[in-house]
Amino acid sequence: MSIRAELKYKIMKDYGAPVLMAFQNVRRRKPRPTPAAFGSPLDSNQRLKEILSRHYFLSRYAPGVKKVAWVTSGAPVELLRAFDFYTIYPENHSALVGAKKQGADYCGIAEGDGFSQDLCSYARIDLGHMLSGKTPAGKLPKPDLLFCSNNICQTVLYWYKAIAHELDIPLIHFDAPFVTTEQTEADINYMAQQLQDMIPILERVSGRVFYLNIFEEILERSMETSKTWGAILDAMKAQPAPMTIFDAFGHLAPIVSLRGLPVAQDYYHILMDEINTRVTQGIGAISDERYRLIWDNIAIWYKVRFLATFFAERKMNFVTATYTNAWAETTGYLDVKDPWRSMAKTYGQIILNNNLKHRLDLMKGMIKTYAVDGMVMHSTRSCKPYSVGQFDLRKAITADLDLPAVILDADIADERVWSEQQIQTRLEAFCETLEGSKYG
Amino acid sequence: MLRFSKHEITINEIIKNMNIPDRSEYLKGLAQTGQKIMGVLPALYPRELLWAFDIHAAEIWDPPGEILHANAHLQTTICPVVKKSLEFILKEPQTINAGYLFPHTCDSLQNLGTQVKDLIGVSLPIYTFYNPKGRFNNTTIKYYQDILINFQSILEASHGPLEPEKLKAACVLSHKIDTYLMVIQQARMTDHLSLSNHEYFTLMRAQEYLLPQDYLSLLEQVNILEKPAEFSRARLMVSGILPPLPEILVFLDELGVSIVADDLLAVSRRIPKFAMDPPGSPLDYLTDRFFVLPPCSTRGGDLDERVHYLSNRLKESKAHGLLFDMVKFCEPELFDHRLLVKTFRERKTPVLTLETELEDHISGQDKTRIEAFTERLFEIVST
Ligand code: SF4
Ligand code: SF4
Repeated sequence: MSIRAELKYKIMKDYGAPVLMAFQNVRRRKPRPTPAAFGSPLDSNQRLKEILSRHYFLSRYAPGVKKVAWVTSGAPVELLRAFDFYTIYPENHSALVGAKKQGADYCGIAEGDGFSQDLCSYARIDLGHMLSGKTPAGKLPKPDLLFCSNNICQTVLYWYKAIAHELDIPLIHFDAPFVTTEQTEADINYMAQQLQDMIPILERVSGRVFYLNIFEEILERSMETSKTWGAILDAMKAQPAPMTIFDAFGHLAPIVSLRGLPVAQDYYHILMDEINTRVTQGIGAISDERYRLIWDNIAIWYKVRFLATFFAERKMNFVTATYTNAWAETTGYLDVKDPWRSMAKTYGQIILNNNLKHRLDLMKGMIKTYAVDGMVMHSTRSCKPYSVGQFDLRKAITADLDLPAVILDADIADERVWSEQQIQTRLEAFCETLEGSKYG
Repeated sequence: MLRFSKHEITINEIIKNMNIPDRSEYLKGLAQTGQKIMGVLPALYPRELLWAFDIHAAEIWDPPGEILHANAHLQTTICPVVKKSLEFILKEPQTINAGYLFPHTCDSLQNLGTQVKDLIGVSLPIYTFYNPKGRFNNTTIKYYQDILINFQSILEASHGPLEPEKLKAACVLSHKIDTYLMVIQQARMTDHLSLSNHEYFTLMRAQEYLLPQDYLSLLEQVNILEKPAEFSRARLMVSGILPPLPEILVFLDELGVSIVADDLLAVSRRIPKFAMDPPGSPLDYLTDRFFVLPPCSTRGGDLDERVHYLSNRLKESKAHGLLFDMVKFCEPELFDHRLLVKTFRERKTPVLTLETELEDHISGQDKTRIEAFTERLFEIVST
């Protein structure tokens, strides 16, 4: 660790980042007008932007002070935190690129270098970034370590292998057996052992020693943060719901990428307070909530605003989503007294690593508890584990619960896949059915 | 005895001449005798355990016929192996009577297994088998043994207790088959085998549906030449999931190109990299066998190791070029493909990539590309 780099990092953390935030606040003084269909935006949005900008800003100064790890969204990051890695989430970064409608551009770079257009666009965007250095976040540090788990998909393993090879850096993979009926003791032991096997490698890469008590503290914090996130999502049961799921897609970022850090824990307390106040005062996220919807699959990042407005104008609000729920669903298994096995249960059973019966039951439960009137499924070209099975899920749900549903064919971050006319037609037809079914 | 085919004869004649029974006729015949038959999806599974329970594993990779009903269950961007398999399963064929096994190979097959079991529903039981991913170490080996034991208990629940002697015998049989296959592969690489491209892959793929004893008898009949054949043909190695379409294989034969080595999931990647000791303890044998398979994208294997393996194969077989026959939408292969192509191009190995949706016919455009590629191979032959 160089003293110069450490000093620079400290200065940037204590002075540079606050100055940047203040500067951004001045620039943002004139917010975009909120369409009439929406209620007033959450005050927490401001804090969220600050946290994320600060995280990306500081990352540039991390090399030389902290080791940098690129991590997948479902990986047990708590272990890395115990070694003080600076973590970057390429999926998050790809979503950011997608939201800025630059996905096709980055994908094109990866495709130009030989990656197929049929690969997940998060991966292509990230590989495009790796090959070109381009990023809307200014500059991202090169990783010292890659950490992935196939508990969300096998894709991340193939993708991270490609980066590891290109950058010639170590890759730690946490193999999470798919849960076809239920986790077996062998599955749990296997995952628990893998986590412990990682310690010497992480010590070597980070140059730090593992302390169980520090790790337990991090785990505790992570648990508490996920619980708060779960409580925030629970609050969406209120009618009207205090935020839309499109807001939640944004507020999800800290639980994904800053999990285990005090900043995420503090942030969700702020958000929770604001949400609770809204619920108590009966303030809704949209001006007139008549219909409540569930969203399935990852967001269509480049069309979040379009979709939010489209539905809000029709008095429809998304109050729950399988996607946002993923970072709250299994944290109940975490147990500091049994860290390794409890992490195996938590990380091994997340929605994308669990069978479709589990997903069906989960969705049906959400539809009931959130008083949902209709379902929108995003069938995304990128994501096989999220999308394969959706047609039959829809069939089972609509048959059992008599719920109007629509499937949108699109992509998470590659805007070239979007077909405005086809989607508009489908959405109009869905809205008509929904209106007819509730008030018709 | 296998014979070298004349190019003008048709694909069906080739199979007939080689005395390899037709897949569906053979399985129908077996089912009529009361044989338990399990439909097994790609790719890696402990076949020996099934055999020990007297269950015949009939593999489902690319069943013929149009994809119709599967389209109601799967998106257009799902690979044809998955779609064709589902189409086959939806027909509830009589030949499959002991259930379906979904090994954990990729995201699409992973989800298809639970989709068929939990959402679509078929009258037969659905089994799954997890194949560990990534780099392997002692933790993985221990886990793989646990998976085998667990799978055995699951089979015992429906098929009665396992007779240890039967498992031992199944391992011995499997070992013999592997040994023959390794010899045949070696013979192919060194021109000690007089089989056309299509004949060779028909032989290799017959293991997907023949009873192990029948397959072994077939392998025993393969004529390994004492001296290498005179060879003026261009030599090619093929990588991907399945061998190229029969029409492509025949076309390559016509052009004077022999596929002398492969890195196909359905073929070489399921044959141990090197000869194994005869089975002692079945559990150890099955475990070792899994870990000595060649590097494979679907197991999340190391890229350097894969490059190294392919280089060695190219060298050993003296192949002049490399053909990547990519199944459309196959993520595991597509990720590795970019580095493999780059590496071999840099080494000046001619490389051709074809994309297949497992259609019945080769397109005019692909034919032209193959012809142009072949010319490059012959330039090397003549230098
Ligand atoms: S979008 Fe799907 S396939 Fe892509 S990284 Fe995420 S989980 Fe994996
Ligand atoms: S072809 Fe590729 S994507 Fe399709 S089933 Fe095989 S491994 Fe999976």
